[in-house]
Amino acid sequence: MTTIISSSPPVVLQLDRLSRRRAGRHAVRSLDLSLHAGQVLGLLGVNGAGKSTTLSMIAGALRPDSGGIRLRGEDFLEHPELARSRIGWLPERAPVWAELSVSEHLDAHGRLRGLNGSTLRAARERVLDRLDLQPLARRLAGVLSQGQRQRLGLACALLHRPELLVLDEPANALDPVQAVALRGLIREQAAAGTAVILSTHLLAEVTAACDRVAILHDGCLRHDGPVQADDHQALERTFFEIAMHGDAAARAA
Amino acid sequence: MSGGVAGTFAVARLEWRRMVVRPLAWVLAALTLAWLAWNFTLLLGGFLAGQVQRAALPDGPGFTDLVAVPLLGQLAQLSFLVVPLLGMSVIAGERRNGTLPLLFAAGLPASRIVLGKYLALLGWLLLWLALTLAMPLALAHATDLDWGKLAAATLGLALMLAVLAALAVTCSAFASHPAIAAAAALIIALALWSVNVGAQMAGINGGVLNWLAMSTHEQPLLRGLVSTADLAWFALLIVVALALASRRLDNERERG
Repeated sequence: MTTIISSSPPVVLQLDRLSRRRAGRHAVRSLDLSLHAGQVLGLLGVNGAGKSTTLSMIAGALRPDSGGIRLRGEDFLEHPELARSRIGWLPERAPVWAELSVSEHLDAHGRLRGLNGSTLRAARERVLDRLDLQPLARRLAGVLSQGQRQRLGLACALLHRPELLVLDEPANALDPVQAVALRGLIREQAAAGTAVILSTHLLAEVTAACDRVAILHDGCLRHDGPVQADDHQALERTFFEIAMHGDAAARAA
Repeated sequence: MSGGVAGTFAVARLEWRRMVVRPLAWVLAALTLAWLAWNFTLLLGGFLAGQVQRAALPDGPGFTDLVAVPLLGQLAQLSFLVVPLLGMSVIAGERRNGTLPLLFAAGLPASRIVLGKYLALLGWLLLWLALTLAMPLALAHATDLDWGKLAAATLGLALMLAVLAALAVTCSAFASHPAIAAAAALIIALALWSVNVGAQMAGINGGVLNWLAMSTHEQPLLRGLVSTADLAWFALLIVVALALASRRLDNERERG
């Protein structure tokens, strides 16, 4: 008997005609996108293109006006509790509870995500070590620098080993050494089978860390394709073409 | 423990921790307890001074009527200020800090977030009540306490704190700034207490306004009278306030 095993990794995230209005305008329009396990998708776009709105909807912090989100085939809008264990989210600017220490932060996040007892302690130590936060463990989150906050936010997102990692401008405020470490962390997560979607303004970040790139303009998906690590200029050309002549490009398409 | 219940307790624990590490709750507790302790000694002094005259009365007021219940009455007055101040940041503060989406993204329904925050606030207030109650109880061995009356008054205070906490959480859910939430909660609580003052002055003791007023339901409890109708009023108000707060948070997740 021959068993056929599909080598294609499973689809973790599926967006189906996702739309959302914000502040009286279409922030996201009819967005279709899918993401496989172990894949890293870079989301590019100028300010106001709809990146953060898209990521907030995927993370479960914002409901779409219409369309669907499926997590491993399950309807996320019907079952928002799926976010609890399956999604790790680093929001833009990494908000923190200023009065809690780094360690307490991780405990609070862990409990919100269903961890407790020895599992929570082990997870906390793991991410403190991985993100080099051990020396800051007892420091109040309110006195951390923006880069340190960003690392704390990443630690919170990774704490419960999510299947889908949603990172909104994770390289913000990181120094070059930390930015390189972040790329390593993203690749490590992808190698472990986590699907990663990250928004950024840095094209170099995309070529260095992502397998695929999607470019949003005015709430619409204008480009979705693989990233050629050695062709930074091609990505730059595509991005600026869409950013400068987005509507024309769309009309031509 | 189901995910929803665990989520509620996770939110409650987080809110409790935030309350414990902030100076506001401690300062308010210290100042009010010092004030109540001072008043306790004054009430006790008055009680001891009048003991000889009251001994002649066959059914005169005792320690519970003259010291314990008036002390709880003073706590009730302070709670109009303390509860809005303690509760103002529970949701409005999260919104201002940008941390509210972190709770939304934990996959918790809005009602669980509201309930968790409410339980933390209520826990703190009940501790405050217990510390106040410890003052008259410390003299229980040396005096003749009316346990039934004291229990009814304590229940009344606990319910009043529960209603004020629910109002504070609701105002915090609707307000964009914690200070606005505190002011709104204070005004609504005072209005709810005295909504029937006009009707009372006109000699009307029934009707909707009297039913609506918190004083109508609190004062019998402070006198030792427990009725199901009064308990139902408190429960109804708590449920309505928390449901409104949940609705508001749900809308926020919808609206963004």
